[in-house]
Amino acid sequence: MLNAMAQREMTTMLRRRRMMALQCGLVIFFAILVAVRWPTDARVALTGTRSQQVFQLFGYGLLATVLLLLPVFPATSIVREKKQGTLELLLNTTMGSWRIFFGKLLAVMALAGIILAMSLPAASACYAMGGLSLYGDLWRMYQLLLLVALLFSVLGLLVSSYSNSIDSAVRVTYGLVLCLSILSLGPHYFFQGTKGTLADLGEILRGVSPFAAMMSLTGAGDVGSQGIISKSNLLGRFTVSSLIISAIAGLWTISRLNHKIFDASRPAGTISDDQALGVRFFRRLFFLVDPQRRSGGISSLVNPVMVKEFRCRRFGRLHWLLRLVAICAVLSLGLTYATTAGTLDWGVETIGGIMVVMQVALVVLITPSLSAGLISSERESRGWQLLQTTPMSMARIVWGKLLSVILPLMLILCATLPGYVVMVYIEPGMTGQVWKVVICLGITAVFAMLLSAAVGSLFSRTAAATAAAYGVLLSICAVPLLFWLGRDAPFGHGTVEKALSINPIAAALSVIRMPGFRNYSLIPANWWFLGGTSVACLLVLLTQTYRISRPR
Amino acid sequence: MTTSNRPLAAAAGAPVLVIENLTKQYGSFTALNDLNLTLNAGQILGLIGPNGAGKTTTIKILVGLIRPTSGKASIAGVDCVSDASKIKRMVGYMPDTFGSYDNMRVREYLDFFGAAFGIAPRIRAKRIEEVMEMTGTAYMKDRFVESLSHGMQQRVGLARTMLHDPKVLILDEPVNGLDPQARIEMRDLLIQLADRGKTLLVTSHILPELARICDRIAIMTHGKLRAYGTVEEIGRQVSQQRTIESTLVSAEQVPAAANLIRQAIEPGADVVEVPAEATVRFRTAKSEAELCQVLTRLIQGQIQVTQFREVQTDLEEAFMSFARPQEAIAAKPVVTGGTTHA
Repeated sequence: MLNAMAQREMTTMLRRRRMMALQCGLVIFFAILVAVRWPTDARVALTGTRSQQVFQLFGYGLLATVLLLLPVFPATSIVREKKQGTLELLLNTTMGSWRIFFGKLLAVMALAGIILAMSLPAASACYAMGGLSLYGDLWRMYQLLLLVALLFSVLGLLVSSYSNSIDSAVRVTYGLVLCLSILSLGPHYFFQGTKGTLADLGEILRGVSPFAAMMSLTGAGDVGSQGIISKSNLLGRFTVSSLIISAIAGLWTISRLNHKIFDASRPAGTISDDQALGVRFFRRLFFLVDPQRRSGGISSLVNPVMVKEFRCRRFGRLHWLLRLVAICAVLSLGLTYATTAGTLDWGVETIGGIMVVMQVALVVLITPSLSAGLISSERESRGWQLLQTTPMSMARIVWGKLLSVILPLMLILCATLPGYVVMVYIEPGMTGQVWKVVICLGITAVFAMLLSAAVGSLFSRTAAATAAAYGVLLSICAVPLLFWLGRDAPFGHGTVEKALSINPIAAALSVIRMPGFRNYSLIPANWWFLGGTSVACLLVLLTQTYRISRPR
Repeated sequence: MTTSNRPLAAAAGAPVLVIENLTKQYGSFTALNDLNLTLNAGQILGLIGPNGAGKTTTIKILVGLIRPTSGKASIAGVDCVSDASKIKRMVGYMPDTFGSYDNMRVREYLDFFGAAFGIAPRIRAKRIEEVMEMTGTAYMKDRFVESLSHGMQQRVGLARTMLHDPKVLILDEPVNGLDPQARIEMRDLLIQLADRGKTLLVTSHILPELARICDRIAIMTHGKLRAYGTVEEIGRQVSQQRTIESTLVSAEQVPAAANLIRQAIEPGADVVEVPAEATVRFRTAKSEAELCQVLTRLIQGQIQVTQFREVQTDLEEAFMSFARPQEAIAAKPVVTGGTTHA
């Protein structure tokens, strides 16, 4: 029975043409990764430095591939069955929740195995260069990658069992990937070399990051290590933490796979307007804008598509926007406090760096979830056909949709600005830098929005659109940072600067003169890149929208 | 034959919907082949056909979602292809899928489409109340649209279609998935709309429903119009081949009776033996006098006949009589002598 489940899952995944194209693309990608750093000299370096450099790049590339490609499959696995009604059929068989879970997990792990198997020729080439140990380097790298695959497959399945829509499952799963892989490194980066609770927390958190483990394995040291040498066994810590998290998440998912998953009544559509005055008063006090009050009609002055987008988003309602803005403002004020209290220890640049990283991370995390599905969700829900039968022009529809992304992004960015004001007050000489940072953030938001919308418009399913948008945006944000991680070796200053010039995070960090980025001059090259790409994305979005809306 | 409940509607106004030589091709595949139709104001046209007959293609051309390869379609004199923006204001289109949005309440959903049609807020609020009242959706105005049952969604879909008060309503499978009571209510609602002067084009697989409400029926198969007219006119076309049923005293005599009938009627005609009901059913174009001879032959052959009668042709039978030959052509069956055992 387990075989039947895994076989069905594998057949569903592998019979798609896209999967074939993906596999061919991966083989080419791995080959390029090795070829880029393959020695061209006639002499052979006996030290093994060159092969270590190739191995580093190859390792990061493989890890990024697993992190970007794999989570979408478990994330959509259970929720898709739930939507299609086949989960009911599965639960009605004698298969049981254990077999369903392990069947699905086995299929995803088999896919991970296929991806990793395709990298074996490139890995053999690295090994053939010499200087690498079969067990100490290659085997342990594959062991790490399998653990990463296991961790995010189980987490994806857990998220999928809770989600009610495919795109929200994809969004949350990639959010988890970002948090566990990149954001978990943040506290250590900023608090390394210090003592106290925050430093301890940073040390614990980086134990769950596969990037920290990979860097430790490839001998690249710590993330952004500022001359501090760490002797932590990060690979061992990641092994333990990933197995514990996988076991907990696995048991949790299995406990969800029963009749209770469907045991919920339809929302009755409670409206607080019909409730007693006291109840309404307390709800008003608690929510500020009561989400269950009867909403007014759409004014003829606003774009109806924009209002529709806000209303049909889970977090698009006003009370959620207010909460989000409030959280951003509180975080910003917290950082303002840190700026004033910690200036002597960290320097304004470091605090500014934290703010920039947090803001850009927020933009990168939120924007694709808002804009990737602008067109695909309409196509998927068949709403696009209905919009086409209204007298609204295509331009008005697209503008309304873009406005629904621009406004929350503006609110979020504005809510985080007080920190910069305080920074300028403390260090008036930074006014120019702060202005440049604000411009960087604005351009990043526009870029992320248009890129996600353009990539998303190429798909008819929201889950695929969201995954692709996250994949492209995270690649642009993460891949240049891989070059930065190898800034001392194998890459030179020029190569790293060129790579970073497409990265919005690096540009903002270089402007604020964050340690590690202050030596790179990325402005205005970065603005030109982001601006040009944004215009290109807008054209793609409009062309694609025109293509699907014209009568055929 | 089941007839329309609206005998006076046939005398309705001037042609509103005119389709002339409409053809749509996708590469070498012809989805719509030289279609011609006319529908007067205040009438209800029922479009029938098996899956892939070209019904949805026709509808999508009328609402401006698809361009025809050749031919012309117009609504109230407005061309469906060149004046698509005018058509959108004149036509209310209800597709076979609902088009749901998450986290939206029914009232908000209707409000959005009202705003999309450019209805001023004050008029819109009043109009929403009206259409909700008309479609019986007022009680679910605060419910979330995605949580509604299929039947409820069909009603909300119809309310959305009527929001901008269109002259013509094009409804793709409006009674699909409705329970019997809701189906009756929907039927009455469509009749009410036609009585208010709206012109309706309705597709449905539930043929008795169409027979009850439609003034005109169009039967399509493989992109071609096979029959068009009132239910009675179509029935008459089918009646050129009548279905006769002969019930016997004993089931044992069924094969013998079937043989005698086969010898008496046209060679290769359908003769169906139903031993369980002690009945033989056959289709023939014979006149009353000739049928009398068939009965005489049965009696002379010692067959004890209790009933010998014509079976009334309903819309389902009419549909099958048009659809079956086409399916037979498509499937190229092996001819087995015109006898079928049930």
